Amino acid sequence: MDVDGFIETKDLGKVYTFGAVQVAALRSVTLSVARGRLIGVTGASGSGKSTLVNLLGGLDRPSSGSIRVDGRLVSDLSKKELALYRRNTIGMIFQSFNLVNAYTALENVAFPLLFAGVAKKDRLQRAEELLRTVGLEARKDHRPTELSGGEQQRVAIARALVNQPQILLADEPTGNLDSKTSRQIVEILSDLNRHRGLTVVMISHEQALLREFADEVIRLHDGDVVDREVLRQKP
Amino acid sequence: MRISDYIGQAGGNLWKKKLRTFLTTSGVVIGVGALVCMFAFGQGIQRNITNQFKKLDLFNYISVFAGGRSNRPGESSDPDDHGGHRRRRMRDVQDVNHPGPQLNAQALERIRTIKGVEAVFPEMRFPAQIRLGSKEMFTLIQVLPAEACRSGLIKLRSGACYASDEPNELIISDTLLHRLNGPDPEAAPGTKIEVATLTLDFSLANLLRMAFSAGAQALPFTRETYAFTVVGVAGQIGFMGPLPLQSDVLIPPGAAARMRKLSLTSVWDLFAPAGGGANYSSVSVRVDSPQDVEPVQSQIEAMGFGTFALMDQLRHMRVGFLIMDMFLIAVGMIGITVASLGIVNTMVMSILERYREIGIMKAVGATDGDVQRIFLFESGAIGLLGGLFGLGLGWVVGLIINEVINTLMVRQGAPRMNYFSFPWWLCLGAIAFSILVSLVAGIYPTRRAARVDPVVALRHD
Ligand SMILES: Nc1ncnc2c1ncn2[C@@H]1O[C@H](COP(=O)(O)OP(=O)(O)OP(=O)(O)O)[C@@H](O)[C@H]1O
Ligand SMILES: [Mg+2]
Repeated sequence: MDVDGFIETKDLGKVYTFGAVQVAALRSVTLSVARGRLIGVTGASGSGKSTLVNLLGGLDRPSSGSIRVDGRLVSDLSKKELALYRRNTIGMIFQSFNLVNAYTALENVAFPLLFAGVAKKDRLQRAEELLRTVGLEARKDHRPTELSGGEQQRVAIARALVNQPQILLADEPTGNLDSKTSRQIVEILSDLNRHRGLTVVMISHEQALLREFADEVIRLHDGDVVDREVLRQKP
Repeated sequence: MRISDYIGQAGGNLWKKKLRTFLTTSGVVIGVGALVCMFAFGQGIQRNITNQFKKLDLFNYISVFAGGRSNRPGESSDPDDHGGHRRRRMRDVQDVNHPGPQLNAQALERIRTIKGVEAVFPEMRFPAQIRLGSKEMFTLIQVLPAEACRSGLIKLRSGACYASDEPNELIISDTLLHRLNGPDPEAAPGTKIEVATLTLDFSLANLLRMAFSAGAQALPFTRETYAFTVVGVAGQIGFMGPLPLQSDVLIPPGAAARMRKLSLTSVWDLFAPAGGGANYSSVSVRVDSPQDVEPVQSQIEAMGFGTFALMDQLRHMRVGFLIMDMFLIAVGMIGITVASLGIVNTMVMSILERYREIGIMKAVGATDGDVQRIFLFESGAIGLLGGLFGLGLGWVVGLIINEVINTLMVRQGAPRMNYFSFPWWLCLGAIAFSILVSLVAGIYPTRRAARVDPVVALRHD
């Protein structure tokens, strides 16, 4: 394991409480991920994969333990700093795409730049460039409902990239897609990982895809890392 | 986020839900319209009343009487002293044994030096003989400045006040005119009247003349006659106005100044040498601005004189206005309150609908503040629109009601006027208030929006 990991978690735990019931979604996850790796996360439903990714992405706060990214203690950030961390360091992709249906593809990709205070003209220009890189330039004025699942996910990827993040977090990006489209999406992520040096953490149930594209695969069970398999080393 | 983007977001989102925006905004429009209408009506009434007085410049006057009593609010200690108060004081003033300081030339000089005092002139009455045709009568003539005359102090049955303080023109009461066998009040203006005064004359020539004549002429009086024209006939002249009118003939000060006369306002005058320490029954003080009334009044009272100012009356009136305003605002606020509940409802709905979108905003880096402000701009925009159109609605409704009132009033002989007043601050205030109310209505829903947990909002269903 890397001594000075880019992403490091220590005894990471998350307990959800509803009423008197407490659910330990994550128990004690200690991980270290080097910069520029593509990490696959797998495990049964309810094993805590999404919880882990949400914690890494700063969408949620851990109940115990710590997260460090690029030397910064993410778990200690204030609410506002956490928002800035999500904005500047993280790009997220979801199984259900999470695009705004009222917006066109272009507007969806440009959306994060709104909060970064980028001028409208620059926003749209940058969004258009990114739509071109995912091959959807021609569909920029279409709304998500007019796009196929795979196209929607490509729009979501373009949106995740628009603030030039260092880490891409993908929560089952292929969960709603057929196998052919799934492969296309993972190829794009792998491409971004290899050619842009993005560190990618991708949740997936599809072992074949993970074997083919991931540098290592982490298996969660009941809120704990039960297996970690390194498939490739990178220079 | 940029301000322009907040505006763009708010505008875009409201435009997407046109019907809902329209309905919610309509609520605000009606609320603001009602409030504006009510308030403008209150303002119009107040403006009309205050203007009436302001035009006459009466707020700048203080009447000063000899004797320490005054009519200032809260100072009347004698419970029996209501009705006959003024009249009694007037008698007190003329009481030779009156113990207070004398309202004489020195006192006038002292009053003149008080800061804020612009002019001091005695309210003068003097005896004179007036002749119309062959009929001659003795009366007291009162000097009344033209502007005071025009103040509405006098109910004119015909004619008008003299145009300035200068001409040899007079206003005569209908009763005296009748007694003089004069023409009907309607025909009276233009009638020539001769005014004759008596003066004490101690000049050498007069003394010599006295010495060489006998009988009736053996007093140091000189008779002077002046030609006057009747310009107006007054109805009841009484104690109604701020300046007590007790004479049947009123002339302007300029004309009075040109006359040689014996001031008879106080018995003292008879015995005082001319130009010396004559006492005045009352004196009018003109101050620079209505704000000076109160301090000048206190200082004059400290000198031991009684005062009366219309300003005091205005102060009572203001309280009345305030109560009226409060009532009108209270009624107007009902609409605003209902409208603001509409805004709360719309915002809560909008936020529920866009629950997932809020999650997305947060996931891509919006702070809680960004989210709250996006929605606050939305409710603020509803307020702005509602304020603008509400103002328009209030204005239009005001115009219509104004027309209706005027039609009814003119039929009853009242002059046409604007019963509604829309001062600029009311217009700006209405819009600002509408925005403020909308923002306040937006506080609760937008805070809920800001607190949305993105993990929950984004969890796929
Ligand atoms: N907001 C929440 N409140 C309560 N319990 C939660 C919440 N989020 C997750 N859990 C619980 O935590 C556990 C882990 O959930 P998580 O979503 O991380 O699983 P997962 O591995 O992503 O599952 P799946 O493959 O179905 O997406 C589950 O038992 C889930 O019910
Ligand atoms: Mg999950």
